[in-house]
Amino acid sequence: MVIRNTTHRWGAVAQLLHWLIVALIIVQVTLAALAGDLPLGMKKLAMLARHKSVGITILGLALVRLGWRQLNPTPALPQTLKPYERTLARVTHAMLYVLLFAMPLSGWMMSSARGFPVSWFGFFQLPDLVPKSQPLYHALVTTHQSLAVVLGAVVTLHVAAALKHHYVLRDDVLQRMLPLSTTTQGTKR
Amino acid sequence: MRPTGHALLTAILLATAAGPCLAAAEAASAPPVTHYVLDAGKSSLEFTFQQAGAQNKGKFTRFAVSFDFSPDNLAASRLEVSVEIGSLDTGDQERDDTLRGADLFAVTKFPQAHFAASQFNKTAGGYEAIGKLTIRGVTRDIRVPFTFRTADEHGVAAGYMSGKTTVRRLDFGVGQGEWKSTEWVGNEVGVAFALRLTSAAR
Repeated sequence: MVIRNTTHRWGAVAQLLHWLIVALIIVQVTLAALAGDLPLGMKKLAMLARHKSVGITILGLALVRLGWRQLNPTPALPQTLKPYERTLARVTHAMLYVLLFAMPLSGWMMSSARGFPVSWFGFFQLPDLVPKSQPLYHALVTTHQSLAVVLGAVVTLHVAAALKHHYVLRDDVLQRMLPLSTTTQGTKR
Repeated sequence: MRPTGHALLTAILLATAAGPCLAAAEAASAPPVTHYVLDAGKSSLEFTFQQAGAQNKGKFTRFAVSFDFSPDNLAASRLEVSVEIGSLDTGDQERDDTLRGADLFAVTKFPQAHFAASQFNKTAGGYEAIGKLTIRGVTRDIRVPFTFRTADEHGVAAGYMSGKTTVRRLDFGVGQGEWKSTEWVGNEVGVAFALRLTSAAR
């Protein structure tokens, strides 16, 4: 398996970043759901501390991912796609990238506004992005939660599209992001 | 032989009498201490603590200070501080309520923290007060370094006292049950004060 992307296939680094972020987002949703039901206590602190640390990790990985994308060719979409499908794919992917930054940043700002600074797994403390403010905190909670709903919707679309490519269109769009699949050089199966 | 014996006795008597007399003279010549009270509006008492790996801040908004002090008469200097624990403010209502609760400060049972010092030393950077700190009903010896300077402000003798120290919350039982763990909330709590005191006639 090649490290770098080709015009037909995602390389090892891009795949690793993709699936690592998928896994971490699942962790995030789980931690947020678990913490949401708890009263303020040691358990909630622990859940939210991990949620923040993982969020900052995703932010860092998103930066690396965006940089790597700039330095690599992007595998082309299949020629068979209709123009509106291409646009939809582009918009969906752009939104996913935006959300990979907007989710952790809004969470980080939320912590700053509440006066609960963010630490990355206890190794170092991040600076506050906004001043402590109760109204701002409530606005950011709404923002963070709304963005999570949007992320859920966009991810659903993304997964549905990947499955459609695989099972309906029978092209290699899904496979070229899977580490163990064989390269089919961008052609139809 | 006799006169010599008398002289010796006199000398001994004089010497024993002189001791207390000299001490009394010293006390009389020592400068009086000034009595200071707190200018609450221009004073702060803050604390910092580690929460989930990050440093968090809080403050107490209601506390009283009585300070009898003279840099030239540390022996007669006294410091008394009492803090209304319920006045703590970390900027978050939920956290403040948790801190006031039974497992942490237990404010209903222990509404005040107290610091009393009657021993003062001159240090390289200022002074240190050695006294007893009581939090949550537990008393411990503590040394608090501080700086002190006076200023004549339009005829008012003001004193500026500031310093910081670290206390371990678990030494005072601030943290029962699950809060005994220091994994997410650190044991060490920084305490910093910057006080404006004004002298009051006694």
